[in-house]
Order: sequence, then structure tokens, then C-alpha cells
Amino acid sequence: MNADSAVKLQLITLVGPPNSGKTTLFNLLSGKNLKTVNYPGSTVEYSIGKIQSKFGIKADVLDSPGIISLNPNSPDEEISVNSLYNHPIYGSPNFLITTVDASQISRHLLLSMQLIASGFDIIVVLTMNDLMEKRGFRVDEKKLSEELGCKVIKVNGRTGEGIDNLVIWLKQKIDNDRIEIRENNHNNRIIPKKIFENAEKEQLLKLYSDIEEIEKKVITPLPVISEKNFRNANKSLKILNPTLKSGNNQPDELTLKIDKYLLSKRLGLIFFFLIMSVMFTSIFWVADPFMSLIDDFFGWLSSITLAFLGNTWYGDLIADGIISGTGSVLVFLPQILILFLILGLLEDTGYLARGAMLIDKPLSKIGLNGKSFVPMLSGFACAIPAILSARTISNRRERLLTIFIIPLMSCSARLPVYALLIAFLTPSDKLWLGGIALAVIYIVSIIGSLIVAAIVNRFNKRLIKAEDNSSFILELPAYRLPKAKVVIRNSIDNAKQYIFRAGPVIMVLSMIIWFLTYFPNHNPVIDETGLNTEQIEQMIKSERLATSYAADLGKFIQPVMTPLGMDWRVGVALISAFAAREVFVSSLVLIFRVTDSGDIRSSMISAMRNAKIEATGEQLFTPATTLGLIVFFMFALQCLSTVAVSRKETGGWRIPILQIVIFTSTAYILTLFTVNILRFAGIA
Amino acid sequence: MKTASKLNFGEKGIISDIDNTHPSFRRILEIGFTPGQEIQLINSSAFNDPLAFSLRGTLIAIRKQEADCIILS
Repeated sequence: MNADSAVKLQLITLVGPPNSGKTTLFNLLSGKNLKTVNYPGSTVEYSIGKIQSKFGIKADVLDSPGIISLNPNSPDEEISVNSLYNHPIYGSPNFLITTVDASQISRHLLLSMQLIASGFDIIVVLTMNDLMEKRGFRVDEKKLSEELGCKVIKVNGRTGEGIDNLVIWLKQKIDNDRIEIRENNHNNRIIPKKIFENAEKEQLLKLYSDIEEIEKKVITPLPVISEKNFRNANKSLKILNPTLKSGNNQPDELTLKIDKYLLSKRLGLIFFFLIMSVMFTSIFWVADPFMSLIDDFFGWLSSITLAFLGNTWYGDLIADGIISGTGSVLVFLPQILILFLILGLLEDTGYLARGAMLIDKPLSKIGLNGKSFVPMLSGFACAIPAILSARTISNRRERLLTIFIIPLMSCSARLPVYALLIAFLTPSDKLWLGGIALAVIYIVSIIGSLIVAAIVNRFNKRLIKAEDNSSFILELPAYRLPKAKVVIRNSIDNAKQYIFRAGPVIMVLSMIIWFLTYFPNHNPVIDETGLNTEQIEQMIKSERLATSYAADLGKFIQPVMTPLGMDWRVGVALISAFAAREVFVSSLVLIFRVTDSGDIRSSMISAMRNAKIEATGEQLFTPATTLGLIVFFMFALQCLSTVAVSRKETGGWRIPILQIVIFTSTAYILTLFTVNILRFAGIA
Repeated sequence: MKTASKLNFGEKGIISDIDNTHPSFRRILEIGFTPGQEIQLINSSAFNDPLAFSLRGTLIAIRKQEADCIILS
């Protein structure tokens, strides 16, 4: 902690409707000094940053999720609204900056007016003014400021134009605030429930008619520069709603054209599945060259470490336990990065809302909501933020059901496992086959989760009363080119979080597994006659493992594993995977002592090919058992963090316990069937 | 009484009232469906529901059942 944080800085909270340019403004103000924070006790992610030092202001700035009005309609909006009064960590903001899209002024002013009516100290930042001017209109910020009774500043999110004005104003504001007694400010605020609980139709209509009055006064056509401009302005005036004298009433033309295809009745769903499948297959083949690089690096690091430290126990610990164990999981970082990149791109272009709309109808048939689409899709990255993002669903029943099935989405922690198992099954010269196999896994996991949702929906009707109103009201934002810089930065941030969350767990477990497989008989005596050095080395390794603690532990698991055609070594790896799924891979690497030169992945695969079940001498990894393992990972709930978040978000143990029991037993039974049916069909 | 769910594709209508007995009416108003506004049915999903309306310069997707509380003149 530096000296700065000891003094409590002023807090500025950014608030605004979805798609109003709020986060862009946040990035302009805070530069790169942001971190994503979790709102304690709930699911909404906040970003907090300090205002960039070049602006010469010392203040914290908090970005909150978008809200349409001060009347919350879903759990995430409720948290957002409450944080305007008092954020549990950062306290109450000194003042608010609220963003208003100039081209959406008639809708976006609603929130600003409610904020003013509730006694908040706000500055309105008008965004997207260039879009307005393209249409031949401008908003008079001085007049708007007079009408609202608060400061209005125009800022161009793309060029940063106008940010200086905002900064000058913020500086004055902060200096003045120091003199004032701040407590007074806060007491003036009226808790919204008192005003807005009864804010039914009449009040909203009054508010809107006030806004329309203001709109008439502040929107003016640009001075006519050319005839062309004049004609454009006239044209837009003609198609206007007669009650409104603004040229601002048509959605973005390009968006309408694109939607003709992407939301077309015949092609809409085809495009939807095409986009989804390109997305999931690219995870596999785009990442491959990068993965090989990382793999080679760790293989090299492990072998030179071993060469340097010699054949000692600590050499083995560092080379095998730490480097190979960690490396075997870090190899999959490129895939995870690409997954986050694609999710970010989909969100930034504006397609996600359309996806939600496209599948609202079928999802509502099985008790979900179109809004379940985004949480389900995020579930492919990680179940934890996905469960949190289910807060946008206002209907409690639909929200609980969405949370229930999210662990079935194939999260990024499962990628390393699938990638290894698929690589074992497919020839290395046919990479595309691996991509298809992964896509099939994703599709099956989606279908599986939908079937589970449908079944639970049937049973659950008695458990959760459907008293809430099920609704789907969503703005379809105009398409825009994603801001590459922002998307890339967010992906890197997410990947970093993945490393920091999974990394320590993998390290510790790697060391535990190493210990269990190395001791107590770490220096076994074997008959060396007639063997070369390499064979001796192999004999020592297998003898050491067969008499290790892990083998003792394995004896307990053996009865469960035998019906699946697997042995205790896979069982130990599966148990360790309950800490984090990707640990399965590092455990296998350790159990099979993959330290050969070259890269870890290919030596792991050759070790798998050579592995035999000790009791019977049969192959351990066959197409049947490998597919069985894939099936197990698709269904089993092996993530303790998911269980914890699920408990928090559903407000009890009932749903997480049901999830563990149902998903893990289903996984075992389906694996049992898969392995034995395949064997029966003659596929060993 | 014609409601927004009865519009044909590309057809426009002026909102005359919002049915305040509908459970979603408040959110419908808040997002901008207010009397006097002109709306146009632009798109629907492949399953005919939800519907996407042009309203106040943007596109809003709502379910048919919700479009039913938007009464047109």
C-alpha cells in the first residue's frame, strides 16, 4: 500500500443506461490503472480505478453496471442502485457522472432526471455527439444544463475530445467539495423507495413528457452548410414522429441492414450456429502453434533443471513436480486467451443481445430465458462469473435454473483435459479433427445442459413457485466495430486472473502429488542385471510408484475405477481434479513421470499409449476409456469454487448439493455406460 | 383494440396507451414505450417471438406477450 491510499480519496461513481458509453468514459478517465472488483456478497462486477495522473486529480472512479432507471428490475440492477447510496467498500460517492447518449437523449435522460429528483449531485456527460451531427443535429449543452440544473459536458469517447473540459470541471468540483461539509450532501439524498415505490404510470408519463419538452428545446438542426446536408436534414424530419421535433428517431441504418441477415427468419438461426461453431473450433486450431511454443519451453526448462540438479530428490521435485506440473497446465493459456477474446468480440459488436433474442423462445419452453444465453456462454470461460452474470435475469425461477445448469457448460478449466484426451485420440497430422471433436464436446455439453434444464424444470415446479413475471425486454444496440485494444486488454486481464486463481492451486497440488508418488520408497532396490541405463531408470520409476503413498490411496479407489476400465492412477488424478479440473493433467504428468526431453504433451501421449493396468496387463488408455473420461469431465461437478458461488447466489445449500449429487453421479453412470457399450461394440 | 403484437413487419403505429395491469408495464414505459411515440415492427426471431421494434431511434426486443400491453391508436 502506498501513502496515497492512506488518505481517503474522493469517490466519483459513473452511472448510466446500458450502451451509453459509460465504460469508454471510464477507460478515458482511468487509463490503464483499473482493476475489476467483485461486489461483496453479490455477483456484479465493478471496475475501480484512479483518475490518470496526467489530469492532475486525485480521486477514485467507480464504474457500475448499466441501469435503465432507479427502479431496479433484477438483482444486479438492485445492487447497482444501492451502491449509488452506499457502496459496501468504497462508501457513498462524492458525486456522480451520468452518461447520456446524445442520439438516445429521450430515453437516457430518464435516469438523469430520476437521479436529480433523488437529490444526487450529478454531472451529465453527453456521448456520441458525432453520431448526432452526422444526422444533421446537435444538442445544445448550455440549454440542457439550464433545463436540468446541473453541469452538462460533451465528450467524444473515440477521440477523447472534451475530456479536458470535464477534467477542469472535476477539479473545481473536488476543490469546492473540500470546503463544504460533505455530510450535508448525503443527507439531502432521498432514498428512492419512498419516491419510486409508487412511481407508477402517471409519474413515469409525467417524467417522459418533461423530457420531451426538454428535448424540443435542446436539439437543434445544424446550420445548413451545403445543400446535401439540408436535404438530409429534411429527409429525416419527414420520417419523424410528428409529436417530436427531432431528427433523431431512426435506428442506425447499417444496423438495420445487417439485421436483415443476422435476424432474418430463414437465415438467423443458421448464422447463429455458424458464428458459435466458428468460435468454438477456432479455440483449437488458432491456439495450436502458440501452445507448441510454451510446451517446448517448459520441456526444455525441465530437462536442463534435471541436468543441472542431477538425479536427486530435489531435482525430481523441481523438474517433475513443479516445472512439468505447472507447464502442463500453462500450455493451455493460448486457448483460454482465445476463448476470452472471442467472447469479448461477440459482446463488443452487439451480437450477444441478438443471440439472446434468437433463442429466447426455445429457452423459455424449458424454464429458461433468452437472457440465460449470456451467462451460459460465459460458462464456457468460467462458471463463477457466469453464475454471477445470471443476476441480470429478473425472474427468480429462471435465474435459479440458469445457475443450476451453468456448471454443465464446458468451462476453460476443462480445456486442458479435453485437449490432452483428444490429442491422444486423434492423429497428430489431422489437427482439424481435434477442432471438430472439441466442437462436438461443446455441442453435446449444451444439449446435455438443456435436457437437464428441461427435466429439472418439470420436477422443480413444486420446489420453486413461479410467482414472478417472466419477461424479456432488451435493447439491441447498434452494431459497431469492436475496440480491439479494449477487447485484447480485457482478454489478457481475464487470462491473468485465470493464472493467479488456478496457478497456486496447481503448484501446491503438483507438489502434494509429487510427494505422494515419490515417497516412502523413494530409492527402490531393483534387479539391474541385463538392463541398460534407460531401462533401469524406468524400472526404478515404476517400482517407486507401485510402492508409493499414492498407490496405497489408490487401493481405496480401485473398486470404483475397475468398472470404468481404469485403474487407481487415473483415480488419483480424478480426485486431485476436484481442487481444480486442470490439475487432472498435471497429476497424470506426475504419476506417469513424464520428464523425457522434447515437449511435455507428446511425451505425455506416448506415456499414455504405453500405460498398462497392472493387474491385467491390459491397455489403460483405450479409445473407450478415453472417451469415458471425456464424458466424466463433461458432467461431473468438480469445482469447489463453483459450489461456493452457487451457494451464495442461490441463498442456500439446496441447489449446490443437488448440483454435486446429480451431476457427479450422472457423470459416473454415463462414463460406465460409455466405456462398457464401446467395449461391447468391439471398440476396446 | 390493436396492440403492438398485431403489427405486420415494417408496419408503423402510434402508441395510445400502456396497459398498466400488465406485470411488465413499468419496464415497458421506462425503456421508452410511451403514448404518442411511433413504433415500427422491424424483426422477429426465427420462432416469431420476441419481436424487435424501432423506438426512439433504437431497437428494442420484447416478447409478444409484452407487446400486447402496448395499445396502438
